[in-house]
Amino acid sequence: MTTRNTLVPSVLWWFNQSFLLEYVKMPSTPLIEIKHISKNFGGVQALRDVSFRVERGEMHALVGENGAGKSTLMKILSGVQTDYEGALIINGTPVKFNGTRDAEAAGISIIHQELNLVENLTVAANIFLGREKTNGGWFLDDRAMERESAELLGQLDCDINPRQRVSELRVGDQQLIEIAKALSLDAELIIMDEPTSALTESEVERLFRVIDQLLARGKTIIYISHKMEEIFRRSERITIMRDGTHVTTKRCAELSPKEVTHLMVGREIESTALGKNRQPGETLLKVENLSLPWPGHVRQWRLKDVNLELKRGEVVGVAGLMGAGRTELLECLFGATDVAPQGRIVLEGNDVSFKHPAEAMAAGIGLVTEDRKRLGLFSHMNIRENITLCTLSSLTASGLISSRQEREATGASIRKLGVKAAGPEAPILSLSGGNQQKCVIARWLRTEPRLLLLDDPTRGVDVGAKAEIYQIIDELCREGMGLLMTSSELPELMIVCDRILVLCEGRLTGEFTRDQFSEAAIMEAATGSVTTAAM
Amino acid sequence: MSELPSSNSSRVNSGKSIWSRLPIELGLLIAIAAVICFTATVDDSYRVKTAYNAKEILRQTSLLGIFALGAAIVIISGGIDLSSGSVIAFSGMICCSIMLALAPVDSAGNPDTTNLGVGILLLAISGTLFVGLIIGTFHAWLITVIGLPPFVATLASLVGLRSLGRVLIQDINAAVTTSGSSTKIYISDPLFNDLGRIWWVPLVVFLVLSFLLWLLMSRTQIGRHLYAMGGNEDAARLSGIRTDKQKWLAYCIGSVTASIAGILYCSYVGEANPESAGMGYELNAIAAAVIGGCSLTGGIGTITGTMLGALFLRVVIDSVAKTVKGSPDEFEGLIVGLLVVLAVAFNELRTGAIRQKKFFAGKLGFVSLFILSGLVGIMGGVLSTSNQLRWGTLCGVLALILLGGKAFWERRSR
Repeated sequence: MTTRNTLVPSVLWWFNQSFLLEYVKMPSTPLIEIKHISKNFGGVQALRDVSFRVERGEMHALVGENGAGKSTLMKILSGVQTDYEGALIINGTPVKFNGTRDAEAAGISIIHQELNLVENLTVAANIFLGREKTNGGWFLDDRAMERESAELLGQLDCDINPRQRVSELRVGDQQLIEIAKALSLDAELIIMDEPTSALTESEVERLFRVIDQLLARGKTIIYISHKMEEIFRRSERITIMRDGTHVTTKRCAELSPKEVTHLMVGREIESTALGKNRQPGETLLKVENLSLPWPGHVRQWRLKDVNLELKRGEVVGVAGLMGAGRTELLECLFGATDVAPQGRIVLEGNDVSFKHPAEAMAAGIGLVTEDRKRLGLFSHMNIRENITLCTLSSLTASGLISSRQEREATGASIRKLGVKAAGPEAPILSLSGGNQQKCVIARWLRTEPRLLLLDDPTRGVDVGAKAEIYQIIDELCREGMGLLMTSSELPELMIVCDRILVLCEGRLTGEFTRDQFSEAAIMEAATGSVTTAAM
Repeated sequence: MSELPSSNSSRVNSGKSIWSRLPIELGLLIAIAAVICFTATVDDSYRVKTAYNAKEILRQTSLLGIFALGAAIVIISGGIDLSSGSVIAFSGMICCSIMLALAPVDSAGNPDTTNLGVGILLLAISGTLFVGLIIGTFHAWLITVIGLPPFVATLASLVGLRSLGRVLIQDINAAVTTSGSSTKIYISDPLFNDLGRIWWVPLVVFLVLSFLLWLLMSRTQIGRHLYAMGGNEDAARLSGIRTDKQKWLAYCIGSVTASIAGILYCSYVGEANPESAGMGYELNAIAAAVIGGCSLTGGIGTITGTMLGALFLRVVIDSVAKTVKGSPDEFEGLIVGLLVVLAVAFNELRTGAIRQKKFFAGKLGFVSLFILSGLVGIMGGVLSTSNQLRWGTLCGVLALILLGGKAFWERRSR
């Protein structure tokens, strides 16, 4: 064992390390030992020499900001990512997974943040997907699968019909199906990647009851989350990661939530620096009774009767859980929805109803989309082409694009937003997430919008670039632009915004001005009225 | 973090092999030169009748290239147009029908197409191009408004248009001539026939069209938007690009170029015959585009690449026709199929690491050993002139030994 070798040099040094105590308490081999794991994604070092261990039967919290490397590490653990440096030791034997099946066979199951279910199949079919039970090897034995599914779900104290289609279930129930699937695989270790990001309060309570049960049955859980109360509620130890490196692993009792946040970020976020002395001007946007139908869904409305007002030189945040309608709200304003919204949208005093994003763009609105890879970037194009795409008509001379003008425009944008790149001709994918996002923002700024919609603009962006994006937002606001932004991270909205609107299941359930900001109150609004609204 | 992007991108570039930095156009030029040199050494036709061969190859390349450009633009925009072969047949029929209907009537009451005059010719051509525009518009409507996948929408045209042409031509013949419902229309107007028969006419049309489309694709906003839409349609729409209009344009270019080719083919053979004209040409066009570097996933490809792709395809087909002394028509499909697979595989491999690639991994790899050897054996047999069975067996066994050796080495090095 490595512990013995390292014990020899300096006993004193070891005394300072708190986890010496743990070896006294838990002398057995850890369930999982992660040793010097590094991973390089083409351009970006996602993991750098990460080592820690997960003991058998513990709930181990893994925290870190977006881009800290948690997800990459979990992908390695669950066999999704098979190419890395370093070693993975399970039950004392080194393993090398060649795919998710290998990981499942070794007793590791992962419940992804974005659930991995086939929505048009039944609950039972999903639980047994890829391992279907058969009669004599040819025909599916639905009855046996349904019986066993009902049993598994019963163990989790939840009442879901195994014959129901997954698409008809609420997100919280869908998550339990993933957990039931993990149980059916007889998983030793269950990894939960931000499991509560889309759950209501009562669903979170139920999830924790299930977690209690799993722990009582001797399962090990790695729990990934941003939310401190959840982390401190049940976990025995916390591992903190930052920028792809392992910061520390400590017992929960030795840390306070504040210390954890501090270690996660690596420095204090100067939350007071932004938003001071902003001078909101006249009303830019007014939305009255905006509703977005949701055909064929029990909820019927993606958005229902939303009212809001936005002034020039103001940043308004939209908070809410996953599926609350944040993205849909921005899409309505941008004319990008499949179904036409109802209600009134007044932009600069004129009633507008956009049928295509091109009309919204012409009216002075820009939208920085949420899912950068899927909806924002043109990955086969270079930086220049990505930045100038929306404004080529201003760079043409007699119908032809002037490459000189285009180069100059790109250069100006790159300088203005501080994009760090090898040059304007570098492929957009060679940039880090933060710089890619700056390019997308630059594309929209070149259209000189008066209203900029930002949908979770710092998702997958490292800490440094985050601060720079906040700075850009602040500057734009002071130049008189109106900004409406959403975020999956509440603290971020509290730093950047003048006001925060809260959506819950498509309805506006709260509005807070800067002096009223409190994480607890906003979360309450985001989850509070859920049970009544859903009925 | 801040220094990462620049340092990494430079390292990524330097890490790649020389192949990946070579533009596809240069690679094609080298390949074309190599094939021509090979043919010239094996067969004396290139040396004895240089001018004739060059003109023939250029004519064939131009005829193929004209609608390959259309196919390339549809592919770059993220779609696929399977209909060009049928559009060629249908447009030829339309063009000849217009000329037939407007031709002066002789004493026996039949239209006389020996001297039509420029006016009728222009009318026929513009009418045909208009029909091409209509077909493209119809495709765009099916795809954007009805929401059919491009594959299905243009597949319907591929099957339907040729059939429609065959039905229509009989009715038109019955209505205009006294000879009844013939399935062909012959046009003997020398001016019209010159369009396809003088070698430089198709070439000039091809070059002018290439230049215009090159301008469109690489120097205008529309072209940039087509590339963007092909690469990421959702992002393009959310960037305020009118993707429906872009698609309309792409499919119209696809079918109008096919119509131009249809007119030229028709004038070359002097008849409209929707039963066999342009049969299977849609795949040749797609093949030329793909060989020229267009990616079927959209967003990638160039006009110059497609031009050279068409030239390469024709040069190889001609080379086989010259060296094997068989009928080039019979070999054409085989060559196109082989070249497409090789070109795409080559493109994949030059960006990936060719040395680490395992070709015969797993059970599929094992079975493919025998499939490939069998194919080589059949080819060997077909291409040899005497003792075909013996040559075929020899080639097959030789291939099996070579490929088996490679497979064995791959499995050991694991």
